Amino acid sequence: MNDLLIPVLLILLAPLIGGLVYGFERIIKARMQRRIGPPLLQPFYDFLKLADKRKMIVHSAHAFLGIMHFVSLWFALAVLLLGGDLILVIFLHLLSTSLIILAGYSTRSIFSHLGANRTAISILAYEPVLIIIAVSIFMLTGSFDASAAFNWDQPLLYKMPLAFIALLLVLPIKLKKSPFDVAEAHQEVTGGVEIEFSGIFFEAVYTAKWLDYVFCYTLVFLFAGNNILLGIGLMVFTFFYLNALDNSSARVNYKQMLRFSLTVSFSLAFINLLINIFT
Amino acid sequence: MYPLITSLFLVPVIVSGLLLILPKTVARILVITSSLVLAALSLYVFINLDGVLYFGVPHYVNDLVAVADIVLLVYFGWIALRRRSWLVGLMTVLQFGGLLYVLKILPADHSLQFMVDKLSAFMFLLINVISGIIAIYSLRYIDEEHCSSFRKKHFLSILFWFIAVMNLVVSSNNLEYFFLFFELTTLASFLLIGFRKDELSVKNALTALWMNQVGGVAILAAIFFIIYNGYGEATFSNLLAHASASGILLPLALLSVAALIKGAQLPFSKWLLGAMVAPTPVSALLHSSTMVKIAPFIILRLSPALKDTPVATVVIALTGFVFVAAAISALSQDNFKRILAYSTIALLALMIMMAAVGTPVTIVAALVLILFHGMSKCLLFLNAGILERVFHLKQSSDMDRLGESGPFTSLVITIGFMSLLLPPFGAFIGKWLSIETLGALATDKKLLGALVIVAVAGGGAVLSLLYFKVMGLLIARTGDHDKIRFEKTGLVYAGTMYVLLGLIILSVLGLPLLLTGYFVPVASQTLGMPVAVVMDGWNMHIGAMKLPMVPLLIALFLLPVTIITALFIRFKNVDRVKEYMCGEKINYSFSSFYFSTDRATPYFTTTGILFFVALIVAALI
Repeated sequence: MNDLLIPVLLILLAPLIGGLVYGFERIIKARMQRRIGPPLLQPFYDFLKLADKRKMIVHSAHAFLGIMHFVSLWFALAVLLLGGDLILVIFLHLLSTSLIILAGYSTRSIFSHLGANRTAISILAYEPVLIIIAVSIFMLTGSFDASAAFNWDQPLLYKMPLAFIALLLVLPIKLKKSPFDVAEAHQEVTGGVEIEFSGIFFEAVYTAKWLDYVFCYTLVFLFAGNNILLGIGLMVFTFFYLNALDNSSARVNYKQMLRFSLTVSFSLAFINLLINIFT
Repeated sequence: MYPLITSLFLVPVIVSGLLLILPKTVARILVITSSLVLAALSLYVFINLDGVLYFGVPHYVNDLVAVADIVLLVYFGWIALRRRSWLVGLMTVLQFGGLLYVLKILPADHSLQFMVDKLSAFMFLLINVISGIIAIYSLRYIDEEHCSSFRKKHFLSILFWFIAVMNLVVSSNNLEYFFLFFELTTLASFLLIGFRKDELSVKNALTALWMNQVGGVAILAAIFFIIYNGYGEATFSNLLAHASASGILLPLALLSVAALIKGAQLPFSKWLLGAMVAPTPVSALLHSSTMVKIAPFIILRLSPALKDTPVATVVIALTGFVFVAAAISALSQDNFKRILAYSTIALLALMIMMAAVGTPVTIVAALVLILFHGMSKCLLFLNAGILERVFHLKQSSDMDRLGESGPFTSLVITIGFMSLLLPPFGAFIGKWLSIETLGALATDKKLLGALVIVAVAGGGAVLSLLYFKVMGLLIARTGDHDKIRFEKTGLVYAGTMYVLLGLIILSVLGLPLLLTGYFVPVASQTLGMPVAVVMDGWNMHIGAMKLPMVPLLIALFLLPVTIITALFIRFKNVDRVKEYMCGEKINYSFSSFYFSTDRATPYFTTTGILFFVALIVAALI
């Protein structure tokens, strides 16, 4: 019973947890810049304020795709937390990203289009790495199920440190953190695909980002096997790493991002796969 | 059963002949009824076929086949002379010499020239149903073509001729017969590609001819080595019976070469890319149900013998390379049909790879891919025809207003692309099965497995990028067009679309049933061993592979339903606004974004050639 209770609770509370992570992140980032930063619950205040705004959309399909992006991302997260098949989880995540890309393309707004293009290129940058990591986990545990990794009695990290580094290198792309935040890049494309969403319809895209936090940190947690303490340690480490990186690096362009990801991150994951195969 | 299968051969031939002489209205009725009859026949054969059916034909047919071979080669020789194509000439001379030599050494009496098993019946169903739909569609398409009324009849006639030959290809056991039918498909595609008779059509038809003739030469060489090595009759069943004999690798490698050429794998991809100058139903036919599907068929036929040989290793490596290379090449294309063609090459590579791996699950994956790819590509190519004829669009960059002027067509194309890419559609299931079984392969054949996974993961991501790029153009519209009204494309066009959409949706919904009742029996008979399928709660186990059904079912509702609802849904009491665009006032062409891959592509052909050399070398050592 307990096996099911925790994942179900996590799934139900995922937007809340993600929101808190986001709020905490804003504080930490501010402190790194010697600012005080907003209160912890600021994301939720923003959430409430957005709900109160005048309802405006470009067209219905665009708004609807944004909402479905949120729903399908939640579903992908649920499959991951319930210990489902990792390849399926990666594809479901791709599905949800595809919906936001389509939403981006569906308007005649230049920034929305550029953002959608860049999001599509981001997929090319991180998806192969994630699949290689999933296959490495399969080599180690003999199963593609996430539950096999959660229950593995030895931290996966010890056997696949390079894959973990590769994951750390692609997470900024997924979470749109500098130096790989080309898809969102406020100074260049003013938020990319998000730009044409507003008010209550922006809410879906906004909270989907919170879900992405939970998704990514669960991927990090996978590397700890059944060692919960190590898992929490890894997540805290990743949290500080991501924010320090975000604060200290300048944005690269999308070509540089793609080249870096496909040469460095991908090779690291691949070398790790080879090690796992041959030992 | 025997008369039914023979009628699958004879009915299209008779229809093909009648179409040339009958008046237009009667011909129309004939096309529609015979398509239905053929579909029903193939379905009946598939359901009622049990075990493997061998049958022979009277002795004089052997002589007839030999004569037909020679007549065909004389015709090819005449084309070479008339068009002054030295490549066709060279290949014809090679084939002629090879054929005469093989006829001389061939054992005098053949028996049991035909073999129909579940794999053949599977192919019958694909060939007859999909080609039937294309034939009905062509009724209108070819009617709008600017050519004489006799040539219109001629076109439909070749179409049915093609169906007959394809049915023969997948049921022949004797390799000499197989050679003739293989060459006849080459002839049919040559005639269809060159149908428009302009300079480009003729040139591309000749390219298709000589490239496929190379495949014919390879088959003749395979026959020679089978007899030379003393295996007895040159048949598929005999070849499989000698699966572990010494020297078997060379005929296997040669037949694989023939398959890879038919499957337009690099460096022989040019003929399929050139084929799109023909009327669009031809592309639909070549890409979905006929011609290129011979490639995975041959490899599936040979898979019990191929499995775990060096030849299979090279084939797997080659197709892994082609999967990525074709996906990358597709990125820089703008012509809608060229994008489709490259993605066909990439997905064919995946099918051939799965067939060559040869474990129960990969065979199932290959079959799933063959069927769903057939339906999706047929849908997409037929729509390419509608785009040309109804909307006058050829380049994908011009399609950014299609969502407003033709919402139904853009919806259908979007579904077609999604069915190639995303869960829960069949092609996705195939891809998923591939990645997971390749993972299993890597525990056994380590380095190869790892490299191929990299290829599939990378190529898959590139393909998704490509499809998004096109889908994005299709879905675009403005707030003024929030309420959509489906355009009218006419009975024939809309009807065939609805039938195909219905088939795709039914197959997705019935996937658990299809897997147990359709794909798995075919796979187990092809492999000659049982494939275990167990339903365990909400999971389906095929061999060692687990398919979680619940997430797939939910994904089914999420994705297609989302895209379809997105078109119809209207939010009430919400203000429509113009795009904000951060206040920009510039004019921007939304489709001007493309990817340049020119720097990578020149090496692809060279690498492809090296792989083909490696294939023969692997067989020799």
